[in-house]
Amino acid sequence: MTSRRPVPRLEHHTLERLENIWLGVAIVMNVLLFTSAIASFVSGTYPSLRGEGGHHITGVQNGRIDPKNIAATPFAKPGLRENPDGTLEAFVVAKAFAFEPTVLRVPAGRPVTFHVTSLDVLHGYQVEGTNINATAIPGQVASFTTTFRRPGTLSTICNEYCGIGHHNMVTRVIVETPQQ
Amino acid sequence: MTTTPLHAPPGQASASGIPAPTGVVRQPPPITDAGYLASLKKVTQYYVVTAFLALFIGVLIGPLQALNYGGINVYDIPIVKALLKSYYQGLSLHGVLNALVFTQFFISGWLLYLPVRDLGARINMRFAWFTYVLMTAGLLLAAVPLLTNRATLLYTFYPPMQGDALFYIGAAIMVGSSLLVVGQIVLMWWNWKRANPGKVTPLVTFMSVAVWMMWFVASLGIVTEVVALLIPWSLGLVGGVDPLLSKTLFWWTGHAIVYFWVLPAYISWYAFIPRHAGGRTVSEPLTRLVFVLFLLNSTPVGIHHQYADPNISNLWKTVHMFLTFMIAVPSLLTAFSVTASLEDAARARGGRGLVGWVTRLPWGNAIFSAQVLAMISFILGGAGGVVNASSSFSPVVHNTAWIPGHFHITVGTATTLSFMGIALWLIPHLTGKRLPSMRVASWAVWTWFVGMMVFALGMHWQGLYGVSRRAQVSAAAPDVYRDLPIAIPTMLTAISGVILLISALLYFSVLFRMLLSPRVENGEQTPIPYSEAISPAGEKLAAAHPLVRLTEPLMALWVLALALVLLMYGPVLARMVANMQLVPGWRLY
Ligand code: HEM
Ligand SMILES: [Cu+2]
Ligand SMILES: [Cu+2]
Repeated sequence: MTSRRPVPRLEHHTLERLENIWLGVAIVMNVLLFTSAIASFVSGTYPSLRGEGGHHITGVQNGRIDPKNIAATPFAKPGLRENPDGTLEAFVVAKAFAFEPTVLRVPAGRPVTFHVTSLDVLHGYQVEGTNINATAIPGQVASFTTTFRRPGTLSTICNEYCGIGHHNMVTRVIVETPQQ
Repeated sequence: MTTTPLHAPPGQASASGIPAPTGVVRQPPPITDAGYLASLKKVTQYYVVTAFLALFIGVLIGPLQALNYGGINVYDIPIVKALLKSYYQGLSLHGVLNALVFTQFFISGWLLYLPVRDLGARINMRFAWFTYVLMTAGLLLAAVPLLTNRATLLYTFYPPMQGDALFYIGAAIMVGSSLLVVGQIVLMWWNWKRANPGKVTPLVTFMSVAVWMMWFVASLGIVTEVVALLIPWSLGLVGGVDPLLSKTLFWWTGHAIVYFWVLPAYISWYAFIPRHAGGRTVSEPLTRLVFVLFLLNSTPVGIHHQYADPNISNLWKTVHMFLTFMIAVPSLLTAFSVTASLEDAARARGGRGLVGWVTRLPWGNAIFSAQVLAMISFILGGAGGVVNASSSFSPVVHNTAWIPGHFHITVGTATTLSFMGIALWLIPHLTGKRLPSMRVASWAVWTWFVGMMVFALGMHWQGLYGVSRRAQVSAAAPDVYRDLPIAIPTMLTAISGVILLISALLYFSVLFRMLLSPRVENGEQTPIPYSEAISPAGEKLAAAHPLVRLTEPLMALWVLALALVLLMYGPVLARMVANMQLVPGWRLY
């Protein structure tokens, strides 16, 4: 507390220059962010959600499905199925407060196309430890394709509030070593 | 050339913590009609007190939830059980009271009062009171089903989970009445423009009007959802509801609403905080630009909440993602500007060094520290927000505990703590009562900050392991949560609940003591803390900085904002309407 030389205060011109530099930095950061997000789309590290579910699902139009008429669609028998062309599809049905199938078995290393829908309210389909995260909406189908690389057991958690039993709505995905 | 240094630290802060200004400060025109002024102050006080009553109840529930995430289930304790039928009813009350009621009432009072005082204008007080009464009536209507467990829908009330029609009607009235405030303030400003041609709108009015305009554009989504879809559906007039369409309309408002929560705090950060610290607002032209960027950019981005939803094309998700990143720009400009104004203040008080100046700020003044801690919290919250906004990171954190971690350091701290600090001068200003203890207020503010930081750490951390949000994990039967390595983060969350409970009790004890104490002086002795500006905008539009001239036509910019949001939502909504899929309602709570 000895020398009290006046401290020069900030003034208009310096500030304006610094502001402009800062604005430039902000914009560059933005462009970088955007580019990296686009890159992840293009490279497919992100399982982008579609609605249509390809040509394999009967009873789905424009990604919509009549929840009262599930029996006429493959969702009537939830689970994994192998199509004649060798592709794998998993049909998952969410309803209060469980998923069907309760345990889904998939082979490691092969692409699986998931189709998720709900029979009542909104649910969430999140596979722990992956970036699989889709909303299950009654009357709509969420579809995405993903490949599980390593065998193991993964918890599947409902992450959208669906009522009094929400916290108990948990199942498993078991990734198996393909037997060939 | 530098402006003259300031030798003596600004005079001893008064009880209200507002030092006398050191330079030329704009003097808003006085209001000479004492009866009118008293009524204006009273209605503002009603809004603010209603807001804090809602926060008080809402915040008392918070620690129960935090303990839940620490694995401790208190919902089976008889007293809690008697009051709250389930964890989810508690959570619905917590979300609605804190995020919707507290903010809306505080902002309606704050952004009614500021521009009216700033212009020295006369507004119709009957209409202002009518609006308050209507908003409160809406709140009370919605409260009945909430309290009786007939609207345990959480604050997002996603259909087809169905609540009582009364809940939707009450909510519509509550939100709708905020639009009456918008009308009154925009009209008042417009009349001022016509009476003062060629003049620059004063800064505080400018910021307030821009925020109200933004809120108008933003609220259209939720108003449409509730009035056109949910009310007829809950009354049984139509057979079903389209959940995706409803959710999309909800997020049209639901994202922009977070800017409606935080911008009223920005107003204080820009215009008033420098004065509390003994410094100056940095640049009026830049401040105006920031608010215009928010007006244009905060609404057309809500689809970043719906990356996990099917039947919205990836193209639109990407467009909204990019626009979301763009909102970081005005926030970053704010970080620069506000920090510069603090540095200016600290140097005026003899602060030195690259960072050494920080110690010279008035950290013991709770009005100041509340808001500056709020800003620090917002920097961290903003960084996390960029993660949430990115469609490639979002699936990892979407709907996990990370999300409440994120918004408790944005709205739960940046906004709430700022409003808590503002109330410490605003209430003395409105009522002539005195803050009973700066020390206790200061403890409250610092513990809130520390508590929320610990909370955020615990929640972000466990969220990364996939712990779901909105889940009574302490009562979960499957052992998934017990298999995860989350012992430390869940413990942090539980501890933070206790810290925050103490903080809330300290704060509300000061607040209620202040409100219940007798009036001791004329409230005007605690002035509105206007700051001096380093680069002011001036009074004459013709001679002003280009940015000031560019941003002054707010009416045109408002139309542009509306056009932009229609452009960004029109095609998305059109596709949903064309493929409408109605499903029946459910009540699973
Ligand atoms: C004492 C302070 C507080 C504590 C301990 C606390 C704790 C919590 C916790 C643990 C959750 C997560 C619950 C869950 O996902 O199951 C939560 C949710 C929430 N909190 Fe707080 N909170 C506090 C204050 C606030 C404040 C000040 C606000 C806003 C102004 C706020 C707004 C919310 C909202 C909007 C939710 C989400 C509700 C939902 O998901 O529907 N909280 N809080
Ligand atoms: Cu569920
Ligand atoms: Cu659920």
